[in-house]
Amino acid sequence: MVDGNSAKETGREGITRRRFTLGMLIASIAGAFGSLLALLKVLAPEKKGGGYATTIQPGDVLIYAKGGSAGSPITASSMNVGDAVLAYPTGKSSNPANLVQLIKLEEAAFKPPTDMSLTDKGFVAYSAICTHLGCTVSWMANRESPAASFTECFCHNSIFNPAEGAKVMGGPAPIPLAQIGVKVMQDGTLAFTSDFKGPIGPQV
Amino acid sequence: MIFKWLDERLELRKFKEKFLSKTFPTHPTFLLGETALFSFVTLVATGIFLGFLYEPSTTMVSLFGAMVPAAYASVVKIDLLPMGMIIRRIHHWSAMIMIAAILAHLLRVYFTASYRKPREINWLVGLSLWGTAMIGAFTGYLLPYSQFSVTATSIAYYMAKSMPWIGDWMSRLLFAGDFPSDGTVPRFFFMHVMLIPAALIGLISLHMLILIKQKHTEPKSNKDRKEAQGGRRLIGIPIWPEQAVISLSFFLFLLFVVVLMAAYIPLNPIEMYGPPSPGTPVMRPDWYFLVVYGFLKLVPGDLVFTILGGKITPETIGGVIFPGLNFLAYALVPFIDRSKEPQPYMENPLHRPFMTSLGIGAIIFLCMMAVAGYIDVLHITPRAMTVYALVATAAAWSVSYALLRWYNGKRGNNAKA
Ligand code: HEM
Ligand code: FES
Repeated sequence: MVDGNSAKETGREGITRRRFTLGMLIASIAGAFGSLLALLKVLAPEKKGGGYATTIQPGDVLIYAKGGSAGSPITASSMNVGDAVLAYPTGKSSNPANLVQLIKLEEAAFKPPTDMSLTDKGFVAYSAICTHLGCTVSWMANRESPAASFTECFCHNSIFNPAEGAKVMGGPAPIPLAQIGVKVMQDGTLAFTSDFKGPIGPQV
Repeated sequence: MIFKWLDERLELRKFKEKFLSKTFPTHPTFLLGETALFSFVTLVATGIFLGFLYEPSTTMVSLFGAMVPAAYASVVKIDLLPMGMIIRRIHHWSAMIMIAAILAHLLRVYFTASYRKPREINWLVGLSLWGTAMIGAFTGYLLPYSQFSVTATSIAYYMAKSMPWIGDWMSRLLFAGDFPSDGTVPRFFFMHVMLIPAALIGLISLHMLILIKQKHTEPKSNKDRKEAQGGRRLIGIPIWPEQAVISLSFFLFLLFVVVLMAAYIPLNPIEMYGPPSPGTPVMRPDWYFLVVYGFLKLVPGDLVFTILGGKITPETIGGVIFPGLNFLAYALVPFIDRSKEPQPYMENPLHRPFMTSLGIGAIIFLCMMAVAGYIDVLHITPRAMTVYALVATAAAWSVSYALLRWYNGKRGNNAKA
């Protein structure tokens, strides 16, 4: 007895031996590859609280992030109007999300939406991680008129105005850099007084 | 003697008759594809040397008293070896030359309409080779783990992450977790020295097999000669020995040029960039990524829309959608400019006003996007640059079209678009 005959007898013309084998083959290939998909999960490790989770606590002292004095506390007297430095909270420099740009401006230069309660004696600090694609921002100092200094990200030339709450003045960055509170301590060093007031890092 | 011994076992004579005496049509532009192939050979050779010495790890080690990632330290040590830096530069220069040659080769195929039936498949294989070579260069970039490498890779990580729906998962899959993570360098190393070269070798073999099966397009000038002879066979030179000798000398000449470049022109001086540190220097990617880099500078930051719960950001547009649409457009070329009959000859680009002007427009557009990578030094605003780019593209396209139409009209040619 041949398959073809029995198929005809039962009226189930579709199921010949050849089609059955083909079906089995497709099903087993699909099954095999489908189970392999589970591997993709293993290959893409879950977040380990990473990304841009900051660990700054109020009271943390600001230290230089780079240069010869990297690691030592920043003193208020070492900065003039129009200066800016990259800073970490002391002891927490391994987390890139903690990187801030500390800027000193004329106190009268600040305009809204800068949060004045987070500034002290002309010192203001913003996240140093560009909200576009995560490069570190740089300071474009203007010696003649310090008020015309600004923050620029060299990666795709986003420009932020530190006197106006790091508002985006140009370039592809979607939102301002988040402000964070700082104040000058009795011993002349600077300390954080708050967490970031807004999202930090690339807005993706 | 040896030949006879081998011949008795492997039938080399048959192989010679069947393959080595195949006809290879000649035209100077056919050397472009060979340039790409030979650069790949050089990449593999120098890559093997680097692979023996490179350490794919971000563990901090001491180098001249400073703590730096092991990968960075190992590349600094390669540079200090006799010839080490030259080998590294040959590797990097060859990568650039390979991509340039692939592009030039694709343009040659485009402008001479060699992508038409029956060669559509090989056009697609060629495009894949281009894309794979770019991924190869990109994964190689990270390996020295300098400040430059890490910044460039970090930008790409956020571009991948910005993709709607799958971005988060996809970025963790490609970069082995959230970049920078300890897993990224080992994963990129594996892709760079195993997966990508294997894929390239596979694609190149496919490309060659299809070429042998379909035969090379011939210069149009062969047509009259053939008709005079009344033959249908290809006109050209046999692969062995003529073409082989030409190819070999060309390879050696290319090697000479790239060694000379490597010896005299500095490239990716990682000692100058230093190991990863806070702060981002002014930096631009290798030229073949300038188009995407420049485009990213032009997309306004507030251009965000939401479709089906997925957020489309400027980064997605610049990093994924724009390159994707470009590739798609190139892939569609042989299916838009179709022909019913198989085409054995190269076309004269001057006789194809529509396709040729379209190609010129596309080239100008891509060049303008690369220029956009320099708007900071040129002091052009993104908005003005966007306008310039669009105007230049439209002008190049329409003017070249008008000129070509006029040229063909004058020749009294029934210009077929
Ligand atoms: C079998 C093939 C290959 C091997 C074994 C290999 C191996 C390596 C190794 C070990 C490095 C790190 C050392 C260094 O940075 O100098 C490297 C870097 C690099 N590779 Fe490859 N590679 C191969 C193919 C390719 C291909 C096909 C491309 C591009 C199309 C490419 C482009 C690069 C680039 C741009 C770098 C960075 C070089 C630099 O530091 O300046 N490689 N490769
Ligand atoms: S990462 Fe700062 S502008 Fe692109």
